[in-house]
Amino acid sequence: MTSDTATRARVLVVDDAATVRLYHTSLLSDAGFEVEEAVNGLEAVEAALSTEFDLFIVDVNMPKMDGYTCVETLRSETVGSAAPVVMISTEDRPGDADRAYQAGANLYLVKPATGDRLVRLARMLTAAEVAT
Amino acid sequence: MTSPPATGLSDADFTRFCEYFYKRTGIHFTPGKRYFVDKRVDTCIRNSGYDTFASWFAALRMADKGEMLQDLINQLTVNETYFLREDYQFDAMLSNVLPAVLKARGGLGRIVGPVKILSLPCSTGEEPYSIALRMLEEWEHIEQVDVEIHGADIDSDVLAKAAHASYGERSLQRVPKAWVNKYFVDVGAGRYQVDEGIRSAVTLHRVNVCDTAAMRAFRDFDVVFCRNVLIYFDELSSRRAAENLYSSLRPGGYLFLGHSESMSRISPIFTPSRLPEGIVYQRPTGAK
Amino acid sequence: MGLVRKQAPQQPEEALPVKPSPETLLTRLHDHDADCRREAALGLVGVAEAIPALLARVGTEEDPRVLESILITLAAHDSEDVAGGLAVHLASDEAGLRTAVAAALATMPRSVPSVLPSLLAAPDHDVRVMTAMILADLPHPDAHAWLARMISEDPHPNVVTGAIDALLPSATEDDVQLLRDAVERFPDDPFLRFTVNAALPRLTGGS
Repeated sequence: MTSDTATRARVLVVDDAATVRLYHTSLLSDAGFEVEEAVNGLEAVEAALSTEFDLFIVDVNMPKMDGYTCVETLRSETVGSAAPVVMISTEDRPGDADRAYQAGANLYLVKPATGDRLVRLARMLTAAEVAT
Repeated sequence: MTSPPATGLSDADFTRFCEYFYKRTGIHFTPGKRYFVDKRVDTCIRNSGYDTFASWFAALRMADKGEMLQDLINQLTVNETYFLREDYQFDAMLSNVLPAVLKARGGLGRIVGPVKILSLPCSTGEEPYSIALRMLEEWEHIEQVDVEIHGADIDSDVLAKAAHASYGERSLQRVPKAWVNKYFVDVGAGRYQVDEGIRSAVTLHRVNVCDTAAMRAFRDFDVVFCRNVLIYFDELSSRRAAENLYSSLRPGGYLFLGHSESMSRISPIFTPSRLPEGIVYQRPTGAK
Repeated sequence: MGLVRKQAPQQPEEALPVKPSPETLLTRLHDHDADCRREAALGLVGVAEAIPALLARVGTEEDPRVLESILITLAAHDSEDVAGGLAVHLASDEAGLRTAVAAALATMPRSVPSVLPSLLAAPDHDVRVMTAMILADLPHPDAHAWLARMISEDPHPNVVTGAIDALLPSATEDDVQLLRDAVERFPDDPFLRFTVNAALPRLTGGS
């Protein structure tokens, strides 16, 4: 595993809230990731069609295409991505986590996720990718 | 490095404006575009009669019908029409989309009915005639398959010009000289008119893309070009327009938007797909 | 072969098959074919009598494209019966439904104020988070004031951060104290602190 900047892991941060995108982007780029943003699930799908991402951070409540539908689409033949997906939500309803895993997410976090935790998870999930 | 003009936006206002515009349209303005944006926004503010950026911006965000936004977008985007504009999408149509259409419809021997292509808005006709020229010159199956090309626009003045189909050198500057000689007639005063045979083969219609009842006239299209018009519409109108375009397509049919436009700000009903030349949208086939 | 004109060129109006009646379209809202339901919902644009039937489908329609077409038709009325009928779904467990309904309500500035008081007082904080999302895009002159009230009064930090995100695009120097007070109220929320700290320099006229 090299630390060559050309092989920095690429993360797509998907959230309709500009402040949340800013927060996650700052955290992850400070931690050495290459970060892009999408404002909703649709834009995320289009971004994933154009760029290969190593990790997706996906909000649940978004207009045009919600997070679960976004993840399902990322996993479907429309995109066919196997990259890890962390879903983050303000909600904590029973069954939400199951719904996330059904859609194809790897992890489901409830906001606010602390910065440290998210960075640790991101490193773990992308390192696992590199190792395989 | 230039400093902003005297009447330009403060850094905070520029940022605020760019974030709003990005949220609405998906279009990013980089710092390099600062001068361009400052000037154009300044023009909009003056056109609108508001005194300050703050009052203009508040009004823009409040207005749920489109006039202020339309003026803004007109100022910020290049809306000149000419032959073979954004023709990488015609490349995509020829190399990827039409082969897929033929295959989906049974192949050369078995396709029933014409391949139908719609250009909306067709404006003064450059787009549908560009499609016709590219098809005639470059589609290998043009002699074996019927092709219908339709142009549609809400504005009867531009449709009249499209029907007349005479153009000046500026509009034709990207057209190879050989094509001008082959498909146009020199009608003097630096103008060239599209051959009667091609003009009569392109059907023109007057329609409002947001009008569901009127758009029912358009069905079973294989390819639709709807470039640089949805961006002007407010939220509900753009969604209805997207629905009407969807209904105009055959299942599996293809939709091209303008190169800086995206369905991500409009509607989730289409399936995006990536071609070498960029994103194209499809009406799902319905096959599960 | 080659470029051909449609065999019988007609004006669009002549080419149209007879438009189905509202009664027919209302029946088609329940058709087993999703495309048929979708086109029926779109065709019912402007038909006030169809509102109850369309609202009834919002809770039961499983095809997301059909739901989208129902909401587009309903939202255009921008009336209190539609706003009230849609608002109940903000509490739905279906993310697709509640976000689609929120997006529809955000296009209804005339009628949403009638449901706002009950939304702002909803016991479910998730509904209040969706309400902040609506106010982010609702083109109403009082949206800013409603969001400011949420920021200063709502007890749940996720609601407050949602309201702050919604307010920032229209925030000015006058909102600085409001934002500082929110950080005071939730000193242990790192995201809220980060967000306010990132926004303040712009509002106080710096950089």
